[in-house]
Amino acid sequence: MAGKRKKSDDGDEDGSKSNRKSFVVDGDDDSKQKKNGSKGQQLLPSTIKNKEKRSAVHAKLKQQKKLEKRKRAKTRDAAEKQALELGEEPPPKMIPRTIENTRELDETVCKPDDEELFAGNDADEFCSVLKRECNPKILITTCRFNSTRGPAFISELLTVIPNAHYFKRGTYDLKKIVEYGRTKDFTSLIVVHTNRREPDALLVIGLPDGPTAHFKLSKLVLRKDIKNHGNPTSHEPELVLSNFTTRLGHRIGRLIQSLFPQSPNFRGRRVVTFHNQRDFIFFRHHRYIFESKETKQIDSKGKKGKDTKEENGSQEKMVARLQECGPRFTLKLISLQHGTFDTKSGEYEWVHKAEMDTSRRRFFL
Amino acid sequence: MPRTTKVECPGCPPIRALTFDVLGLVKVVEARSKQGGVPKVVERWGDPDASRCVLAASIDDCKSDPLLAVARKSGVVEVLSPLTGDLRVSITNSCHPDLQPEDDTIVGLHIFKKQILESSFRSCTLLTCTTKGHASMRSVEVLKSPHDSISSDSPITWNVCAAGNILFSKVDGNENYAIFGGKGVELNVWDLDACTKIWNAKSPAKNSLGIFTPTWFTSATFLSNDDHRKIVAGTNNHQVRLYDISSQRRPVMSMDFRESPIKAVTEDLDGNTIYIGTGSGDLAAFDMRTGLNIYETVSAPVESLWAHWKLLGCFVGKCSGSIRSIARHPELPVLASCGEYLVSCLVLVWVFLKQHLSNVVFDSNFNDEGAYSDYLTTSHGNVRTELASTAEDLPSNKARDEDDTLDEDMEESLPVKRKKASKEHNPSKKLKPKKRSKKLDGKDFDAL
Repeated sequence: MAGKRKKSDDGDEDGSKSNRKSFVVDGDDDSKQKKNGSKGQQLLPSTIKNKEKRSAVHAKLKQQKKLEKRKRAKTRDAAEKQALELGEEPPPKMIPRTIENTRELDETVCKPDDEELFAGNDADEFCSVLKRECNPKILITTCRFNSTRGPAFISELLTVIPNAHYFKRGTYDLKKIVEYGRTKDFTSLIVVHTNRREPDALLVIGLPDGPTAHFKLSKLVLRKDIKNHGNPTSHEPELVLSNFTTRLGHRIGRLIQSLFPQSPNFRGRRVVTFHNQRDFIFFRHHRYIFESKETKQIDSKGKKGKDTKEENGSQEKMVARLQECGPRFTLKLISLQHGTFDTKSGEYEWVHKAEMDTSRRRFFL
Repeated sequence: MPRTTKVECPGCPPIRALTFDVLGLVKVVEARSKQGGVPKVVERWGDPDASRCVLAASIDDCKSDPLLAVARKSGVVEVLSPLTGDLRVSITNSCHPDLQPEDDTIVGLHIFKKQILESSFRSCTLLTCTTKGHASMRSVEVLKSPHDSISSDSPITWNVCAAGNILFSKVDGNENYAIFGGKGVELNVWDLDACTKIWNAKSPAKNSLGIFTPTWFTSATFLSNDDHRKIVAGTNNHQVRLYDISSQRRPVMSMDFRESPIKAVTEDLDGNTIYIGTGSGDLAAFDMRTGLNIYETVSAPVESLWAHWKLLGCFVGKCSGSIRSIARHPELPVLASCGEYLVSCLVLVWVFLKQHLSNVVFDSNFNDEGAYSDYLTTSHGNVRTELASTAEDLPSNKARDEDDTLDEDMEESLPVKRKKASKEHNPSKKLKPKKRSKKLDGKDFDAL
């Protein structure tokens, strides 16, 4: 096992290493392992040819590792407890290494003190909506063939996005629809694309000349399939956009933001979340409530309250409960195009290409 | 171990490039060898203002008094000093007062390098062309302050086209001819002295299915500096076409490149190679003698830059946005392309410039020492001659020798990255790593 991991790490340097070469690396590792086996450990299970024997050795190794890990955790806990009892400073908590916090350095990450960025924001296409000069008005339509889950998804989108209007696609060209939306003062156009009766892509077009974002849509769960779901009210929702860090992410964030009215009605206690994690944008729609509880326990909060923003620091009796309203889906950006929909002569601001995916730690949003 | 360190920037030869963006900012990017060749934004001129969006730019980088002309969205043409950014002259391009500047934006701008007026003052001649096809040529005397500059005589104006939208204009190396073209406008060649149209392209015939593709040129350039007869144009339906004025009105050669529209075409110094940039961020080089694609770019990430270079023999970059403009350095083997947010130089290095960029030009007078003395081609001059000699050595194997020359560019400019090739002492006669040459051979097979 260890040899294998080593191999993959070596491979990090050069993603396109040939198979033959990696074998060589593997062999090198094995020899190293043999040399290093000073603790009296057995040879690697992968070198054993008898399967039964190999699996037995492997299982044993694994068990050993598990025990070691448990022991380490125990000693760590004990040290912490002891430190607390003695009134000392407990040993610093280790920060786990995740893909997010080892993300590749990206110079395009927006800085909060960048006045040029704000000047750019003031000049972009979403500015009039975001400055509340006009109210967002959304046109939702579909691809040409549309059935079952598509309409159901759209009817739920209509409850999520205020001032959204569904229009039948008919046989109109998308460019014609864009034209129509412009004349009728729509600010955005959403096209839900379905494939084999399952929504699989979302096209968000800013009107009149805003950018066109093409998202892949996956993991769609409709409201009725969510257990203990709530029914949303027609209040303007609050919007949570998290983790849109880079210049591109910032722009996508603004595109999404411009779909919703900029004056949330807090009485509705309705929140729409777009959470970006590793370039996947997770959509969730919740209702929340603050309740006063006698006990300080937090485990009585909502079932799906993973990302509750509760404030149990100051007032311990107030507890926020969440209820999911649905739908629930995941978006992934495929392309961002300058101007409205135009596949043939369009100019892309960003296109996802396969050759960008050579590292797991590179994110674009 | 996960890779958490940043790959060191390969660096580039000392260059100075000026970039222009939609907020009307002019940014100066400089790379000095003292700082390890990492390009940085050293200066920023102007305040962000969307109405001052730069549409076209042109530089006259003569040694004594360089000038930079910038066309803004508001219809103003400004002549700046590329050294300090001071405004020298500002002209409103209002030959047709009934048209709003927003409707009739400037698409082409050229500042003439040769002096037309014989006067004691520095004068400059500007050629502008608008979307509607109003071309005008005017001379301006540049004095010390912007207020006492005089537009010496009334501009010479003419109409390039009756219908359609002009998208670009380009002036040849000797500055006697200009091409215009655009959406619904075939390529036109104009004699600038006489202001007459000397040649007009003809659209290609219908294809085998009888389908006619409407004319939509997006960019064009003269193939070599001293020959105005060969023109390379890029079209919206991803074609690169070679026209020869002296032979026929239809394209001599026509190549398809990928799927997205060609957005920028720039010639190389050798008179054969052109570089094209597309709407989805691909950068490629074509040899116009054969019509073969020399390199294709992939927007590969940083780490595998070297690996990809070996595998594909292509430009590798970080741009995944549309390429708006490509500039070839007049002396150094450096190519700059500007995409959505990034400017990259032969895609060895790049700078994040935060805005949608519109243009990039090189200031070739830049010297590493910082002072603007005469630029002597010392070490880099050697490189250039070397390039020429290698190109002559292997005339038969074009794809290969082009690769070699560019490879040299690469190595010349990135000594840090040369780990694998560092064993050999003579960079011009080098042994290639095995894998690379194998790949190359395979590629040559494809080409043949």
